Amino acid sequence: MKHLRKLLPLLLAMCMLLTLAACGQKAPESAAPPADTGADAVPAAAPAAAEPKFLKMAVNFAYPSLDAHKDYYGWYTQIYGVTETLFRIDSEMSVQPLLAKDSSVSEDGKTWTIELADAVFSNGNPVTADMVARNFRRLVEVNERYDDWAAFTFEAKDEKTLVITTPDVFPTMLVALTDPEFAVMDLDATTDFDNAPVATGPFVIKSFKPEGDVEVVRNENYWNGDVRLSGATLFYLPDADSKLMAMQSGEIDCYTSVDAAAKEIYEADPSSYVLTVIPGTRMQFYVLNQTRLSDNVCAAINRTVDCEAIAAYLKGTTSAAVGPFIASAPYGQVTKPAPDPAAAKALLEADGYTLNADGYYEKDGKVLELSIAHYMSRQLPDLAVLMQEQLKNVGVKATPVVEEDPDATYIATGDYDIALYCMIADTGGDPYYCVDALYRQSGKWAKAGFPTDETETLINKLQFETDIDQRAALANEIVQKSIDDNAFGYVGLFNKVSVARPGVTGFSEDIPFDFYGLTADTDIA
Amino acid sequence: MAKYIVKRLIHLIGIMIAVSFLTFLLMYLSPGDAAAKKLNAQGVAVSEEIIEKTRESMGLNRPFLVQYGDWALHALQGDLGESYKDGFPVAGKLVKGLRYTAILALTSMALALVVALPLSILTALKKDTLLDDITRLFSFIGNSLPNFLISVLLMYFLCVRAHLLPLVANESIKGLLMPCLALSIPICGRFIRQFRAEFLEQLGKPYVSGAMLRGVKRRYVLKNVLHNSSISILTIVGLSIGTLFGGSVVIETIFRWPGLGKLAMDAITNRDYPVIQGFVLFTSTVYVVINLLIDICYSWVDPRLRKKEGDS
Repeated sequence: MKHLRKLLPLLLAMCMLLTLAACGQKAPESAAPPADTGADAVPAAAPAAAEPKFLKMAVNFAYPSLDAHKDYYGWYTQIYGVTETLFRIDSEMSVQPLLAKDSSVSEDGKTWTIELADAVFSNGNPVTADMVARNFRRLVEVNERYDDWAAFTFEAKDEKTLVITTPDVFPTMLVALTDPEFAVMDLDATTDFDNAPVATGPFVIKSFKPEGDVEVVRNENYWNGDVRLSGATLFYLPDADSKLMAMQSGEIDCYTSVDAAAKEIYEADPSSYVLTVIPGTRMQFYVLNQTRLSDNVCAAINRTVDCEAIAAYLKGTTSAAVGPFIASAPYGQVTKPAPDPAAAKALLEADGYTLNADGYYEKDGKVLELSIAHYMSRQLPDLAVLMQEQLKNVGVKATPVVEEDPDATYIATGDYDIALYCMIADTGGDPYYCVDALYRQSGKWAKAGFPTDETETLINKLQFETDIDQRAALANEIVQKSIDDNAFGYVGLFNKVSVARPGVTGFSEDIPFDFYGLTADTDIA
Repeated sequence: MAKYIVKRLIHLIGIMIAVSFLTFLLMYLSPGDAAAKKLNAQGVAVSEEIIEKTRESMGLNRPFLVQYGDWALHALQGDLGESYKDGFPVAGKLVKGLRYTAILALTSMALALVVALPLSILTALKKDTLLDDITRLFSFIGNSLPNFLISVLLMYFLCVRAHLLPLVANESIKGLLMPCLALSIPICGRFIRQFRAEFLEQLGKPYVSGAMLRGVKRRYVLKNVLHNSSISILTIVGLSIGTLFGGSVVIETIFRWPGLGKLAMDAITNRDYPVIQGFVLFTSTVYVVINLLIDICYSWVDPRLRKKEGDS
């Protein structure tokens, strides 16, 4: 490289030019971009009131079909604003009627009567009770996750009255009906469920590319008020950097699931980006294997793990948790002791452990060494390392062990000391789903040794309890037991982090659930 | 030659059986299955009874050999089955993915060759000049940078800053430019280094010095050098095309290019055996066919090889 000396100034000059070019660009203005392909989007001036308003939004997943009853496709038809359900959950986590007008349950709790609103499909056909019943029967038929519903009957009492009967008391009926899979489609008018479902939402499909982008336009027959947007394009952008740069280049207007790195960038420029951060329903937690660890060791671990410090490290993408539910929910009223390394050490010492020369606790010459089983998703690797560090600081040696499929490995075998996991803890404003999934004697975490006959009795009581306050009290009691018994550690609830250009509102950024998106109120100022 | 081609195609059948069997076995032995992956896709807890029922209906509880045999029998009849994840035909998914992967692979390869060939000849001829140093430096950088970093840099400078190209593009020519650039930069870097080394080796051979001393015109000498380097160049290009046809997960994910790489990665994550099997069959066929084509090209380029084959 004898010409390196000549080359170096040239390279430096090029670098300077690139830097100058980069710095010379202004951040894009907030805009309502045109409705065409989206490929050539450039920032433009805000449209006049009468001008069509089109939103460009990035989504994290793309599916091959728009058949809302199958798989999890209903989540996305609802995000696209195409399908609706009888009930929906609002930002206060309470169930509100949507396609339904009213509901009641019989005294024995087994017959639900639902009055329908005067809704119409996008083709103008009215939504009838018979059509709703047929939709629900179809859902049970085509979606394995609703096999349990095969024992239910769905009948139309009259044009607008739907009757659902269940073999047992089913107090969570209305919550269950908020699942996006309970979307109501016009089964007679829909000829292509995969590509063009006829439904009731504020938008209808204009173009759909399987596992790709979706274009929707305003449903001119929308039954529930004015639709503010003329349409929207939902771009499938799975990569976090691509989403960030698409936002910076002005090619998209909003998206949810902002990662920590992008969040920092948006926070630094509040005039160009509006961030919304609310506690979500996806929970990071750990399970302590009580069949391997003594009570004192379990308690020491729980007194060591500092959830606030972990949430701070994860830069606002999670909120520290006490229990599995949002603290503001009536069934989220539980407490746990504050982290206290000194108390953790005292617990270990009371159990006969002593610190060795390396700074680790040992008993009978054997160092206390724990495995932290986890998998590569939902920031669990970060959590494993942070817990390892916190445990090390009190003298407990911990080793993160990564598996690709937790359900088929450490959960199935029970081969762990500490098992990390992430799941949706709240599907619709009721605690039963989570309690049933976590604490049953027949559940997948039972191998860790927590469930007792007492908790099982409480869960059975919760299953059939119809009084909302009583349900919350039962849930709180069960969760509190899991904390007091040092069986579980609830670390964090993923925040729902959304970003939008100034003036973009109403894309369900204030609702903690992942399956809401465009609504009639979505707007660009 | 015809006999040779038939022989290679017969080998292909053996390779496909071995590869598909091994892949099926590895997927079968690895923890997790399609039923659980499908039902738990969004992080919603699903009861073990429902998962077991789904497993049963998908036939995942059958013995390994029964599952493999069933798949192989259908595959022999041209039916690659349906995706466990969404029920759509595997063949349709592969054809769609192949179309996009082929477009991206061939354009990236063409771009890399258009840049790398003349530059490597020039740098070999102008060895140790400023041009040689600059080209080597850039080829070294291009070859060293990982795909994702090249992609991010391209997006930042070309899309965010300069607004020259769309970041959120569709599968049009405009949408092809960014992934094509990101994919061809490292290939180009590698090609320049490898081609240059080959040309330098040829230029240092006695037949070149002899020709120059006899006053043969430079362009005729170069023609011979190119001809004699073509076997090595074909080998390098052939291997790269084979790799490109397997798809590039990183590039396809970042630029939303619906090729085979992402299809295969999603299928592996979801334990979607029919799609994985289809992909494996397809890629092994591509490798064998490309190698066969390269071998045919060898004998076309080098008559001595034709003669050897004739003798044997």
